[in-house]
Amino acid sequence: MEAMYAFFMDKAGMGQAGAHVTVAAIMATLMFIVMALCALVFTWMERKVAAFLQSRWGPMRTGRWQGWAQAVADMLKILGKEDIIPAEADKALFIFAPLLVLLGSLLAWAAIPWAPGFVAADLDLGLFYIFAVSSMVIIGILMAGWASNNKWALYGAARGAAQMVSYEIPLALAAIPVVMYTGSLNTQDIVIAQQGGIWNWFIFRNPFLFVSFFLYFVASIAETNRGPFDMPETESELVAGYHTEYTGMRFAFFFLSEYANLFLVSMIAVLLFLGGWWAPIPGLDFLPAALTFVIKGVLMVFLNMWVRWTLPRVRVDQLMHLCWKVMIPAALICTVGAGLWMMASGAAG
Amino acid sequence: MVQYFADMVQAVGSALQGMGITIKHIWTRPVTLQFPEERQVMPERFRGFVHNDMAKCDACNICAKLCPVDCIYIVTEGKGKDRLMTRYAIDYNKCIWCSLCTENCHTGSITMSHDYDHSVYDRRSLVYEFMDPNVAKIPCHRQTRIEQGWWVEPKDDKDEGGKGDDA
Amino acid sequence: MAIEATNGKKGWGDQDQVPGIKSELLELNMGPQHPATHGVLRLLLHTDGEIVYKVTPVLGYLHRCAEKIAEGVDYKQWVVYTDRFDYLAPMTCNHTYVTAVEKLGGIEVPARAEHLRIATAELSRVASHLIALATFGLDMGAWTPLLYCFREREEILNLLERISGGRMLYNYMVPGGVRYDLPRDNWVADVLEFVTMMEKKKLPDYNTLLTYNKIFIERTSDVGIITREDAFAYGCTGPVLRGSGVKWDCRRDDPYSLYHKFDFEIPVGMGEMGTVGDCWDRYIVRVREIEQSCRLIRQALEQLPEGPYQSIELKKPVRVPAGAAFTRTETAKGELGHYIVADGGQKPFRNKVRSCSMCNLQVLEKIGVGLMVSDLVATVGSLDIVLGEIDR
Repeated sequence: MEAMYAFFMDKAGMGQAGAHVTVAAIMATLMFIVMALCALVFTWMERKVAAFLQSRWGPMRTGRWQGWAQAVADMLKILGKEDIIPAEADKALFIFAPLLVLLGSLLAWAAIPWAPGFVAADLDLGLFYIFAVSSMVIIGILMAGWASNNKWALYGAARGAAQMVSYEIPLALAAIPVVMYTGSLNTQDIVIAQQGGIWNWFIFRNPFLFVSFFLYFVASIAETNRGPFDMPETESELVAGYHTEYTGMRFAFFFLSEYANLFLVSMIAVLLFLGGWWAPIPGLDFLPAALTFVIKGVLMVFLNMWVRWTLPRVRVDQLMHLCWKVMIPAALICTVGAGLWMMASGAAG
Repeated sequence: MVQYFADMVQAVGSALQGMGITIKHIWTRPVTLQFPEERQVMPERFRGFVHNDMAKCDACNICAKLCPVDCIYIVTEGKGKDRLMTRYAIDYNKCIWCSLCTENCHTGSITMSHDYDHSVYDRRSLVYEFMDPNVAKIPCHRQTRIEQGWWVEPKDDKDEGGKGDDA
Repeated sequence: MAIEATNGKKGWGDQDQVPGIKSELLELNMGPQHPATHGVLRLLLHTDGEIVYKVTPVLGYLHRCAEKIAEGVDYKQWVVYTDRFDYLAPMTCNHTYVTAVEKLGGIEVPARAEHLRIATAELSRVASHLIALATFGLDMGAWTPLLYCFREREEILNLLERISGGRMLYNYMVPGGVRYDLPRDNWVADVLEFVTMMEKKKLPDYNTLLTYNKIFIERTSDVGIITREDAFAYGCTGPVLRGSGVKWDCRRDDPYSLYHKFDFEIPVGMGEMGTVGDCWDRYIVRVREIEQSCRLIRQALEQLPEGPYQSIELKKPVRVPAGAAFTRTETAKGELGHYIVADGGQKPFRNKVRSCSMCNLQVLEKIGVGLMVSDLVATVGSLDIVLGEIDR
């Protein structure tokens, strides 16, 4: 990053403002490309993981090896589809909703530290920023469900809004012990604090942090509307939930956003609890930092998929029960417990 | 209060047990067959597409009468000993593969083959004409009485008897 | 509207709830094209938010005039139509019809045929219950058990294909016996091996994945409770009746075929996870019936007697004297009844079918009130209806 600034400021003769704009533009484009790529890869991966868990093959034809090109073919197909806006829909909102959903996930990607110094927006409030902008997805979902003027979509949107608003709380609360340990909301600082092998990762620092990780994981599944908490979609109840009426490119935006969000929460789990770009044992240091980071993220995604394809779905009131009566108290206890542990072991800061 | 924690433990425990079962399947070979390359071996009684061996058929009309869905069309001309069959067709859109036609065929000409993958683009091409009246009309009275089981070996030659070239 | 059924909770559907604001119930069409309605069932819901105030099943999307067709085809030809009632367990439907014809015509059935009938019908029942578990799990959002159950069902279909020639629609039983004897390969050994594998390995897997999963229990216990009285009043049969704790099974209480010779138990719902008659009870009855069916298959095949398997030669038409006969048998979904009025000819004068899924579905109108939409989906799944039989 510093080198990029230096290059644009000195070599290209752009001045400070120009260099900032250029670097931001490059990073934004890069993030969007990575996000689109990861949506493609994870679509394929989801199908293969689901298939192998269920004793099937999954896609095997498109492309040569294990149907790797299936996601690409799907994306091309979806782009070629007719774009339908229902006659009774609220057109402006209907068009705007998918963009908002996508925007919410894309913005949060800016504060992800891929490698030392390599982060699109190195914010001091990085973690706070991530949680804040990813809440925008809720507005998009509510908007989509309302604008479609479809009863199933409305159901999905109402459920989704209730669920995601509620699960923001345990999600953020579970991250607080880590912030307490680090003393910073900057995502890079959080990762740097976990340097030095697997035993320095926050997940293994103390039992409260371990429980926090678990709470974060459960809340992140709910936050991405997947797995046993896919209330806004609930395929067997609400047909397709909030995106029932969407086709073509607009549907693709929801799809993209789902997988972008999935990878986003997995990466946040990695940077908060699983040591970010640090290798688990010192012997694995030769791997590039970004690669270590992505591998950990993909493993978390795999865990997410594994849960999704195993468990039945909870009911909407049980979901709320789980959030307000189990996870939030547990997260609060973890926060207090981790604080006491810190005091007892004198490991402040 | 005890129930509250017991429920939590049970929820996490049962979820982990379930995940243990699903992960086992990742290491085992999937059971799905890759269809066009791998094919299931059909049992000998398998009821595939109905096939009529025109060399044996004597147009007795029993199969057409027995068919619960009337999918066999037999047209003859002439009377008595000079009766000639001009059309024998099976409409596979209607056929329900019940095998009632085959088990009552006294010449053993109509059989259930082992063919099952005849996809077509136009449903009219599923009406199979078993004879071409322009080539030869088949006399209906014959002496063939062949004892044959109702099942047949899989046929390699699918075009036998003018089958399959209707479209 | 139906406030008393929602435990006194008043909802927005109650017009006087908020003065000055006009509110009404949301009318929602669940089906005929909906992932949770198991075919082409249409449920007309009146909901208030998530709470269902009124549910009306609308039938007839799969009506094929099977009873009227019966008047135009002869007794043997109609067997193929009985396959298409409960297309998940066609053997059991065949069995009902052929017993009716045999009763009417006084036709003797050889013991070997009865044994083969029982073995195939029970295999069919296992297949149907596997689908019931699978789709019930799917209604809960559990995808993976669906695929596992279908994998085992595939095995059953292969076995039944080997003996009857058909994969789903067997046309195997005929009045006076069965159509074919055992195949020439070692079919019996393969069936016994499958049954053992089912009992020892597969059912424990399902139990871990679904039955005793906490989320699954939470979703199904105390949901959609059918009381004993309701079950009687609506004429529920099969696992739905037994799930309500009534120990009634046609195979034991009104024995047909040779079921009285075999040793099997009748599982009933005991309210282990909640109230008697909830979705979990109906589910567990099916799981345990799979075990009992496995026992029956083993007994029927191990004691398989030698001898003829048909009392009427296949090529001869079945003739029955004028009269009427009603038989009922226990199919996978409940008690299927066949009432045949014959006028002495080759074709029946009237053929009436008492559909068990139809009666089981009607109870939804009573128990569906006050449920949440998700619970309604679960309840429909637990009734395990098959639309081919309801609409015929």
